[in-house]
Amino acid sequence: MDPIPTDDGGGVPGVEGLGLRGSGNTKPTPPTESPRTLLTRRTIVLSFWTIVLCLGLPHWLWTTSTYRASLPLSTMNDWAEGKACDLRFAFPIHLRVLGWTREEMVDLGGNLSVLLGHDGSDGLLDFTFHVGNAVEEPPLPAHRDPALTVVLNAADLPDTYEVASRLEPGESTLRLGSGMSQAGEILDQIRKITAPQQEALAYLLSGTPFAATEHEALQMTRNMRSEASLDARNTRAFKPSTTYHLSFSLFVSGNEPSAWAIEDALAAYVTPLLSALSGVSKFTVTTQVQLHASFSPSIAGPTFDEASREWKLRKEDLSGFVNAAEWPLSPSIGEGSTINFVLYVPAPGHSPLVVADTGGTGWLVPQWGGVAILNLDGPTTQPKPAIDTDLATLTITDLDEIILTFADQLTALIGLPSSPAGSLALRIAALQRERATALLLSTASTLGALSRLVHKLPNIPIPDTVATSVGTSLRHLDLACQDLGVGRYAKTDTNLGALGNAQAASEASEKAFFEPSMVGQVYFPDEHKVAVYVPLLGPMGVPLVLAGVKELLGLYRGMREKVKGT
Amino acid sequence: MKLAQLLALPATLISAVLAIPEYSEHLHLRPLPNGYLYAGFNFTASTSLSAYESQHFRYFPRSLGQILQHSDTRELHLRFALGRWDDESWGSRPRDGKREGGTGVEIWSWLDSGGGKPAVEERWSSLVNSLSGLFCASLNFIDGTKTTRPVLSFEPEGTHRGGGNGMELLHGTLPHEVVCTENLTPFLKLLPCKGKAGISSLLDGHKVFDANWQTMSIDVRPICGLGGDCRLEIQQTVDIVLDIKRSMRPRNDPIPRPRPVEELECDESKSYHASDTCYPKRKEGEMAWSLSKIFGTPVRGSCHVADGDESHDISLEVSPDRAVEVSHGGSNDTLASHEQNQLVRTMRLPDSARQHTDISLPQHIFQDSPHQNRPTLYASRQITGCGQERGGMHTVLHNPHTHQQRIVYLESLPWFLRPYMHTLKVLTHPTNSHDRPTIPLKPDQMYYTPALDRKRGTHLELLLTIPAQSTVELTYDFDKAILRYTEYPPDANRGFDVAPAIIRVLPSTHNTHNTSTAGNEIGQDSYFRTTSLLLPLPTPDFSMPYNVIILTSTVIALGFGSIFNLLVRRFVLAEEVPRSAVAVRVAGVLGKVRGVVGSLKGRLRGGGQGRGGGGVAVGVNGVAAEGDGGMNGVSSVVESRKER
Repeated sequence: MDPIPTDDGGGVPGVEGLGLRGSGNTKPTPPTESPRTLLTRRTIVLSFWTIVLCLGLPHWLWTTSTYRASLPLSTMNDWAEGKACDLRFAFPIHLRVLGWTREEMVDLGGNLSVLLGHDGSDGLLDFTFHVGNAVEEPPLPAHRDPALTVVLNAADLPDTYEVASRLEPGESTLRLGSGMSQAGEILDQIRKITAPQQEALAYLLSGTPFAATEHEALQMTRNMRSEASLDARNTRAFKPSTTYHLSFSLFVSGNEPSAWAIEDALAAYVTPLLSALSGVSKFTVTTQVQLHASFSPSIAGPTFDEASREWKLRKEDLSGFVNAAEWPLSPSIGEGSTINFVLYVPAPGHSPLVVADTGGTGWLVPQWGGVAILNLDGPTTQPKPAIDTDLATLTITDLDEIILTFADQLTALIGLPSSPAGSLALRIAALQRERATALLLSTASTLGALSRLVHKLPNIPIPDTVATSVGTSLRHLDLACQDLGVGRYAKTDTNLGALGNAQAASEASEKAFFEPSMVGQVYFPDEHKVAVYVPLLGPMGVPLVLAGVKELLGLYRGMREKVKGT
Repeated sequence: MKLAQLLALPATLISAVLAIPEYSEHLHLRPLPNGYLYAGFNFTASTSLSAYESQHFRYFPRSLGQILQHSDTRELHLRFALGRWDDESWGSRPRDGKREGGTGVEIWSWLDSGGGKPAVEERWSSLVNSLSGLFCASLNFIDGTKTTRPVLSFEPEGTHRGGGNGMELLHGTLPHEVVCTENLTPFLKLLPCKGKAGISSLLDGHKVFDANWQTMSIDVRPICGLGGDCRLEIQQTVDIVLDIKRSMRPRNDPIPRPRPVEELECDESKSYHASDTCYPKRKEGEMAWSLSKIFGTPVRGSCHVADGDESHDISLEVSPDRAVEVSHGGSNDTLASHEQNQLVRTMRLPDSARQHTDISLPQHIFQDSPHQNRPTLYASRQITGCGQERGGMHTVLHNPHTHQQRIVYLESLPWFLRPYMHTLKVLTHPTNSHDRPTIPLKPDQMYYTPALDRKRGTHLELLLTIPAQSTVELTYDFDKAILRYTEYPPDANRGFDVAPAIIRVLPSTHNTHNTSTAGNEIGQDSYFRTTSLLLPLPTPDFSMPYNVIILTSTVIALGFGSIFNLLVRRFVLAEEVPRSAVAVRVAGVLGKVRGVVGSLKGRLRGGGQGRGGGGVAVGVNGVAAEGDGGMNGVSSVVESRKER
């Protein structure tokens, strides 16, 4: 036999061994190991395993883990479930009675409070009454404007109010005639004014987790009829945004008129409205003139009606009237939604152009904007030899009706409530309340979604910016909730108010949710992991594991023998 | 009399400035030698600065205006270009090369510099990103590595408050970008007539991008009149050089096919001319063409808008003896030469929106080849060297004139091309005598911003004076960087585009030799761009990471396995190896199988031979059973038996 066996010779001793075994049971056994060598070997294996488990494994886990900033998940869930905030809408009312003494007014205020307290029918709004004397402003807590001022003319002054109740258009004041000096009557009037507001808030809250805490109040104020109209209002309006870009466009099918007195028209009809709405959102205005605007090929186009001598636009074509592919109505740059107002001037040969069935010349496109058709009158069939300046420019008289329509559509598009019809100030205040509520609700649900997302995807990295944004959002939510409770709705110099806080919270939560580094999460397919890990860990892991198993088995056998031996 | 004219001059100037038309459009046509046609479209719209600031747009496009406002851009120049202008045969470039871009996309703009460098970079990024969306181009890829800040090459074209203080110039290029129809469509959308009426109705993507050379430009600049009223002007141009014959191929058979031999026009004076060899005959004169045949459509209507330009729409630059026919709707007319300039014929489109206008020229044989303006300079640029590690840049500038010229040479190189400035050599020699020794030329000024890997590209600007009738060669060496695995594009082996060099010829003081035409005013700069270059970089094998992982893993496993086994393994004699239980069982099963097989064989053969083979298999398994690492085959039978 070869004294130095080679690799392929490995089989030969085996044959030899078989021969030995075959001839007799004289197979030599390896000498028993001394306990020292056994101990040394076991120490070696143990130290290898110690290094792997104590150094290698943590290192590996640490380097392959994703960074997850800690988020206040329970607070976020509380908000999403509506537990974090008890939504109350304070509605401070300032009571003033002309010709009464202070004591009498305090009495009236007390009566009103008692009336409210007894039947508890204040719904979602918390009415509180504050009385002042006839001339002075009421002693309201700081930073709190009255949501409504009630002026009761009890002295029967000969001058003023023939009507029993009247709203001031520019301010939130309700004037009552002397016939309504009873507390019950006053309360009825106040309820009448605030009923649409109650319904709108109930509509917003219904179906959200916040509704649970307000259950009774909701049941009371829900109303099928108003719900349908609120549905319609909600689908028309844009989603709440801090900035709206208004884009007024003149589309002309030919090449004239090519100018319009839009600056003057806007200054006359739109700017006052925008300044009144400045407490709700910021607005930017751009205008443009586009010539040679053609209809989209997808619509049938207007047809000439011989009977009325008008061009009729079918109702089905209204949705495709705005030729999105060709008309440059790109959204404005920057945050916020763009509201488009399109004025279309048809070619002289296609005028007058009206909507079939109704005969109208304008319509509103929900969550997009408004369209109006301007038919220039006058027989313009014969071709003009030169450009007529009168025709080339639309004057303010041509435009005033259309811009008024646009202004009206604008109120619908930003969701301004239509009632109480008498007072713009009250409507805007109502919009502020609704906006703040809607933003608060959407922020709460965004935070809930983020919390669920973080829970569902354990691989997603969470950068610190998300944690910061969530913190900001929660802080503003708390403030907004407090502001709602004390009736601080509008933005002031020192305080953001409920609306401002809700907007800040909403922005921060959106920023956290749409964090770009979270959206593009690192994805390693399993094949890649196998391709990387197997060549490295396979050849190293197998000897380690087998050595470990062997030593453990040896240890186990040794112990068993010891037990047998004793 | 003369005094009256002199007095009237400033008045007319003022009125001319005040009465800037709000919109004008113009098409210039000029046949080029060898059957090419140059068509230059120009659309200029303007708006008062106050209307722009309050966002009331009329002819100025709103989409672009908002972008400019949002990014505080004072002046914008954007170029989309394709193809190469053939200096040798087409002569000097249209509009002095000022409305021309390097291959791909080029943009430079003056931005408000308030707020320091980060604010400017923020604005620049917002500008390129918004323009990228507007023009469907990859402009958003213009980041810090593709942006340079040239010092000498560009001057603001507009009048800026504060004499240009408080603004910063940034310049970016995308030589890889392929300009196509999707860029033309938004370009046309910016026009008041949107390609539906007037000369813009000729612009059809199929024709524009079939051209031999094509460049689209958008330039926005403020211009202030003497009275202090400022306007913002947008000038859009499309310059194309079309192969007349190619463009006139019939619509129903648009695929170019080789013509049969009989139809080829051969130069029969060549000695090798035979029935199967043909040297193409040089084109003499020009074939008959018309606008409707070349552009596929006649001019539809006109784009005459209120407060627009009242002058001519189309001008044609042909020799005075050529007959030019114009058809408006049904009526035909001949177009006579302009009174002052016999070479130019002008016409105004009819106001009617329905009428189509076409211009047609009959075939024409030139008596003498039409004179072309000599370009102010010839420039070419190449990459030299071989191998994947190093290369060199070689630029040849050739001044054909008899006066010296001062030029600014601008290169913006990508960071992975690392030039060695100590190897920069500028040598000059007279053009017509190659044997004369070259003389080193010292640049008058040099601006150099070295590259930073993955952050900034190289910016090199040289102010040179090129002597009369001589050639300047500019060379330097560079290294090619090795990119990271993920930095290679999908078509890595195609090579990387290097932006063209931009050459600005400064206004010459020797204007006596300048054969300037009406468009080439004295004292104006002109621009040239070389072709873009393709730089091959060393490309790795893209399966490399896995190979590396497997190789290193194997090496580590080998080392680890042998050390571990040496430490842990017990060495015994081969015959002392205990038989493991598994091995015995496997051997038993195998033995049974063999027994069955053997008995089957025996039955088939009818004999009982062939027993005993099973024993060998057991032995083999006896050794293999010991194996738990990779190294067992050798190490388990080593002789050392010290333990005994």
